[in-house]
Amino acid sequence: MARKQTWFDYVNIAFITIFALLIVYPFYNVVLVSFTPQAVYVRTPFLLFPKELILDSYKVVFENKSVYTGFVVTLIVTGAGVAYNMILTLLLAYGFNKEFPGKRLFLYLIVFTMYFSGGLIPFYLLIRDLHLIDKISSMILPTGVSIMYMTVMRKYFQALPIELEESAKIDGASELRVLFSIILPLAMPMVVTFALYYGVERWNEWWYGMLFIQSAEKLPLQMVLRSIIQTTGNLLMSSKLQEAGIVPYTDGVKMAAIVIVMTPIMSVYPFLQKYFVQGLAIGAVKG
Amino acid sequence: MTVSEAEAGAKRGRLQSLPRRVWEARYIYLVILPGLVFFAIFKYIPIYGIQLAFKKLKIGSGIAASPWIGTENFEYLFINMEFWMSVRNTLIIGFMQIILFFPFPVALAILLNEIRAKRFKRVVQTLYTLPHFLSWVVVSGIAINFFSMQGAFNNLLAVAGLQRHQFLTDQGVFRYLLVFSQMWKESGWNAILYLAAITAIDPALHEAATIDGANRWQRIKSITWPGISMIVVVTLILRVGSLLEVGFDQILNMYNPAVYDVADIIDTYIYRITFQRPANFGVSTAVGLFKGLTNCILLLSANWVSVRVSGAGIMD
Repeated sequence: MARKQTWFDYVNIAFITIFALLIVYPFYNVVLVSFTPQAVYVRTPFLLFPKELILDSYKVVFENKSVYTGFVVTLIVTGAGVAYNMILTLLLAYGFNKEFPGKRLFLYLIVFTMYFSGGLIPFYLLIRDLHLIDKISSMILPTGVSIMYMTVMRKYFQALPIELEESAKIDGASELRVLFSIILPLAMPMVVTFALYYGVERWNEWWYGMLFIQSAEKLPLQMVLRSIIQTTGNLLMSSKLQEAGIVPYTDGVKMAAIVIVMTPIMSVYPFLQKYFVQGLAIGAVKG
Repeated sequence: MTVSEAEAGAKRGRLQSLPRRVWEARYIYLVILPGLVFFAIFKYIPIYGIQLAFKKLKIGSGIAASPWIGTENFEYLFINMEFWMSVRNTLIIGFMQIILFFPFPVALAILLNEIRAKRFKRVVQTLYTLPHFLSWVVVSGIAINFFSMQGAFNNLLAVAGLQRHQFLTDQGVFRYLLVFSQMWKESGWNAILYLAAITAIDPALHEAATIDGANRWQRIKSITWPGISMIVVVTLILRVGSLLEVGFDQILNMYNPAVYDVADIIDTYIYRITFQRPANFGVSTAVGLFKGLTNCILLLSANWVSVRVSGAGIMD
């Protein structure tokens, strides 16, 4: 349908572009502040290509030992978390795709927790009683299963051809063998999609870190960033950097920390976007 | 005699068949067991712990061993100004999100669908959805810097010859900052959700309408909109149902004491009275129960309405 561009098209493209710029500009500004000396930014805050780029702010951030430990902790939380989340969710989705006595009751009990929860305090006391305070596992174990993802996976399993499974069963394969060697390979696109969703959630973990973690070296990356953002002025500066004549620019350091934390997601997202959108399609469109 | 014998037989048959069916499904129980254990521990033990709302927690002993004090925690709460302020803020911010934020992604999706340049559309979609995948720690950090005294927005005002303004501590504008930064983060992602529904509309409908001479506006009005109106309505109903979930992550990371009066919501109130002051766990739990029950009623009603309107509820 090659039609002529009408005034509607031009207005529409203009609007869509303006909103895109509104999304991009704050990112650009973050990067700019992180790379420019304070004096330069104050004089020319709108330069597209500033005349003077420096790495001082990044040097100050990387002086911080907790950036490295935070990175390692977040990697552990993400890796172990995704494995744990996916195993629990896949097993539930697969199991609830079958018929068995008590199925409705168990499903109701699970769905009920979407409507009603014990709230923050009983949850906190539970974690304390389980002796998970200040353990990295406190940021993994409570994340468990997303009921939403489990439901979508269940629908996906339902749509798979049932004959394969039955013939495998006749050949004597157990439930677990059927799940792992027949169903999962067929469901790979969905598995990747939900592993990515869980991955982003675990990577962005900060709240359980804030609630449960006390030792600085066990804080996840997002909490390290949070404490850099919340501390105003009193940045840790080593004598080495002071001798090098670096005067910390508070906003610059904060923005450098933001760039460091968001770069991993921003650099992989464009390549994985199709999987994320796929999740929406599996979940929502069926109507 | 024969009749009761047959009845007994049928009964026995059922009784035999249930254990047998359970036994046959033994591996399925094994498959769902880890998930069930997760829900039992991390969801149901805290629900059991709600009794603390009617107790005074004794340090050193658990919830169960603490003494009952009736509705004392609630009585304390219901005369507490700070608590009612947080309820009020939750409702105001919730309705602001529905009125200011909710329609925007719908419009955005319809407009995106009208873009014909494929490459442009793809690049724009990537940009729009990117902020969704960043944490509120990151996005709040960006927003706080952007609206600070020396931040980009004030620089813009200064260039335009206007006064710099301390937005982040201004009670009059802070709620708008919350809603707009949420729009910045989530509009694109929500739009993609609607866009997926629009793409599912049969393109033949659009072609037929074009041949019949329908213009752009007419096609949007009578093909695109009817194609997504149901999803929009259901999403709106469920959004109203989760009115009390107004963005704890965002507010806890973005606000400051100067705007507590307008931005402290129930969730942040619970956090503050429990972890930033000498805590009374009983009272905090009571706030949680108050919110939990209200939330539950809202959600159930929303689900009920949604099923009546569209045949689809929260779980569909």
